[in-house]
Amino acid sequence: MRLFLAMAWRNVWRHRRRSVLTVMTIALGLAFNIFMRALGDGFHEQMVDNSVRAHIGHIQIHRAGYHDDPAITKTLPQPDRIRSAIESLPGVRGASFRVLGDGLASSAENSAGVSVVGVDPDEEPTVTTIHRAVIRGRYLERGQHKPCLIGERLAKTLQVDVGDSLVLLAQAADGSMAGEKYRVEGVFRSGAPELDRGVVYLVAEDAQELFVLPGRFSEAVILLDSSRAVDETARRLEAELAGLEVEVLPWYVVEPYIQQFIELDDAFFYVIVLILFIVISVGILNTILMSVFERVREFGVMMSLGMKPRQVVRLVVLEAFLLGVVGVVFGGLLGSAFTLYYEAAGMDFGAWAEGAAALGLTTTITYPKLTAANLFWSNTSVLLVVVLVAFYPAWHAARLEPVEAMRHV
Amino acid sequence: MSEKRPAALVEVRGVSKTYRDHVAVHALRDVSFSLAKGEFAAVVGPSGSGKTTLLNLVGALDVSDSGLIRIAGHELTATPREELADFRLRHLGFVFQAYNLFPVLTVLENLEFVAVLQGMAAAERRRRARELLAAVGLAGLAEKRPPELSGGEQQRVAVLRAIMTEPDLVLADEPTANLDSENAGILLDMMERMNREKGITFLFSTHDPRVMERARKLIRLRDGRIE
Ligand SMILES: Nc1ncnc2c1ncn2[C@@H]1O[C@H](COP(=O)(O)OP(=O)(O)OP(=O)(O)O)[C@@H](O)[C@H]1O
Ligand SMILES: [Mg+2]
Repeated sequence: MRLFLAMAWRNVWRHRRRSVLTVMTIALGLAFNIFMRALGDGFHEQMVDNSVRAHIGHIQIHRAGYHDDPAITKTLPQPDRIRSAIESLPGVRGASFRVLGDGLASSAENSAGVSVVGVDPDEEPTVTTIHRAVIRGRYLERGQHKPCLIGERLAKTLQVDVGDSLVLLAQAADGSMAGEKYRVEGVFRSGAPELDRGVVYLVAEDAQELFVLPGRFSEAVILLDSSRAVDETARRLEAELAGLEVEVLPWYVVEPYIQQFIELDDAFFYVIVLILFIVISVGILNTILMSVFERVREFGVMMSLGMKPRQVVRLVVLEAFLLGVVGVVFGGLLGSAFTLYYEAAGMDFGAWAEGAAALGLTTTITYPKLTAANLFWSNTSVLLVVVLVAFYPAWHAARLEPVEAMRHV
Repeated sequence: MSEKRPAALVEVRGVSKTYRDHVAVHALRDVSFSLAKGEFAAVVGPSGSGKTTLLNLVGALDVSDSGLIRIAGHELTATPREELADFRLRHLGFVFQAYNLFPVLTVLENLEFVAVLQGMAAAERRRRARELLAAVGLAGLAEKRPPELSGGEQQRVAVLRAIMTEPDLVLADEPTANLDSENAGILLDMMERMNREKGITFLFSTHDPRVMERARKLIRLRDGRIE
């Protein structure tokens, strides 16, 4: 069949200009597809990473039922056992045990409802980047007298700054009302509105004291080396902690709106891809139909000599396939090169910054991410479209009657 | 009819063909003839007499309305249309008036084409193709593409392709119509030689008296009837 391969290949280049244009259509369409997919992948990963690193971690462990109904009394059973279970798993980069509760923060000027997050100042940075978000003063330290860390917007609301005090009022686990004074040691800007506006970080022991939860924690937050390992690690944790009354939640259960946004964004992407494929298909269909119609007499001769309709179909489809392969090679290279360049350089969507912040992004620069899955699916789907489209002209060619085809001028 | 006589290679009996477009054209009416193996025969007659129609029917390219056509023991008139392609591939060779060769293939590859469809081994078909080209002094054209060849050379290559797989019968519809008399002569010499040396049966059509002279048997058509 080498002869038919040679024949198909030369037929492809019979009209060099037309084929080059078709190859360019395929290549540009594919390159665009690869780049858009990579941009989406990078953007989504960044979104997840931002949320994960800002606060929620990859996996959270609570007492069972806490996520649906977060009551202050629902604290982690056997935190030490949980800690050793986490430490026994591979791919865990860090873990932070937190004390959580609600309160009212007041200054001399104003007051605001806040979430109180008590953390181990050494442990928290193994999961989140809050210590790096400090813009004034400094991050929490043990040994300081009742320090707290607040967001820039909360500081503005309360009209306090580094060195000032604020009072936290809260209902403790035993039902009593507690009030305590804290010194603002640092002000942070995370970029995530709900953190900057409504969270007060305390040292864990101080929070335990405020809420009357001695030695207890509300959640364990875990950071993994790779977000791809979330499901597997969560499963293993659940197995390790079997018997304990806990819930092990992946990030997308904790913050479902991120996943929902990604799904919506993907759906939008597929619509664009569909339109793109239709445009490419029309171009290819046109090229192959033309190439078939100008060779009617030739197909007549082939079939007179004994070539069968399905062999004619195969020849035409093979021609389209070769055209597609050339387009896919160029498009794949072009798309990869373009994507890799921006993967290194980043793309600044400065104009969309506001929208980005609403989505929990702390930066306006997006880094596209080229994945093997992207390359594989983009290339095969384009090739598949080219081949499928070719069946129509191929069927036309195969249906020709030799005698009539040879009379064709 | 004697039962002992060997069956003819080609047997055409009472064949009619009518084209029905706007008006019915009776292209062939009750045509009967037979050809023995090794024959070198020509269908002759004026334009519109039905030569092409007859060659198409014998060549299994078209089907008759009535009558019987039998070639090498195969009754074409009883063969389903979709099996005719395979019959052509296994038993027949074709030379057309023009545009025989595939322009993207070299001369050598053009010769190989039918052999490839037949599934002949690569080494064997290349050996045969080169042998044939050498035998008629066209070895130098092997790697050339048809558009680089003269009309006469193209028709000679087409004849070689038709006999490459040593078919039972080679059909040639006006193979010399586009050639000057010198090239027509060369082509007929070649066909005659292949007929003589390889015993290949030829049935060609023409309305050129000088070409008719070369045939050993003439089938004369006029208005779709044998004269
Ligand atoms: N496909 C067709 N549809 C309708 N009529 C046809 C068709 N093919 C041939 N005819 C008619 O049938 C008759 C015989 O045609 P045919 O082509 O067999 O003649 P021919 O002897 O080969 O002529 P020429 O020497 O011009 O090639 C002619 O009247 C022709 O017009
Ligand atoms: Mg004719």
